[in-house]
Amino acid sequence: MYFIIGDYVAGMLIGALTALSVRAVVWPGMDMVMAMLLGMAIGMVIHLGLGLVLAPLLGMVYTMAPAMVIGMYGGMLFGMRDSMAAGSRTLTAAASVGALFGFLVVLGIQLYDRALHGAVVDAED
Amino acid sequence: MDTETQRKWDAASRTLDLFAWGDDQRLGPHKRRLFRKIRGATLMVAAGTGNDFKFFPPGQHIIAIDISPQMLERAAQKAATYQGTLELRVLDVCALPFADASFDTVVTVCTFCSVPRPVVGLRELYRVLKPGGQLLMFEHVRSKIGPFGIFLDLMTPLSRRVGPDLNRDTVGNVQKAGFRLRREENVYLDIIKIIEAVKE
Repeated sequence: MYFIIGDYVAGMLIGALTALSVRAVVWPGMDMVMAMLLGMAIGMVIHLGLGLVLAPLLGMVYTMAPAMVIGMYGGMLFGMRDSMAAGSRTLTAAASVGALFGFLVVLGIQLYDRALHGAVVDAED
Repeated sequence: MDTETQRKWDAASRTLDLFAWGDDQRLGPHKRRLFRKIRGATLMVAAGTGNDFKFFPPGQHIIAIDISPQMLERAAQKAATYQGTLELRVLDVCALPFADASFDTVVTVCTFCSVPRPVVGLRELYRVLKPGGQLLMFEHVRSKIGPFGIFLDLMTPLSRRVGPDLNRDTVGNVQKAGFRLRREENVYLDIIKIIEAVKE
């Protein structure tokens, strides 16, 4: 249970921080490609930094795999959203959207992991 | 001896155990399950700081090697508590001093993400295994899932400077070295795998 809750908390934290950081540097009307690249870069820095802090508590790959999707791909999405002035109106709303994104990514990865888990090749005697 | 690799892992030995707790809790039971298959004379490649010794079944005779003397300095204390025989030696997997067909089992844990010439190392393991001998591996590999695979490719030039490659095709490398794949199991997504192979 510790790890299940921990995975979701970590994902939501990384999502919220990524969304807030992207919002702080991307302004409405910014070139969308630039905003997406900037968002991705910010997300990567945040997920690597926070991932390394959380990895001892949750396991390296269990932390880094969801954190990567949230930081890198979430950063791009948040950047695109903010550049189109389609982003959240308040910081609280931005953090909530980031946390929700993080939660959904962790959920998706856990379901995917369950589907993939187990033998791929089994030719034991 | 590959001194560049040796220096890298000597440096990494200082921080390796800091990251161990979470992985031990989540991956330890899978490692213990794999290591139950150990039989006969056993070689462990890349023992690191000896963090995985606690998952070995008791009563085995195991030679554990690593390219890094500083890793093995840290491993010595853990080896002393193992209830069996655990001998530590500084060796490069690509140039093993053992005779052909010396071992019944070879064990690796997150090893072939780090060996610079993985197929050469695996061929050397093939050589020192007896016919019918088994290779038991617990490894992280490149994911075949699009977003993960791309990310692991992007991160590898960075991770390689201080630690392992993240995008190795270890299952393919095992087969290239001549082994027959007996079992491949996904432990987490398709990134952490148990790989079992046999020398025929």
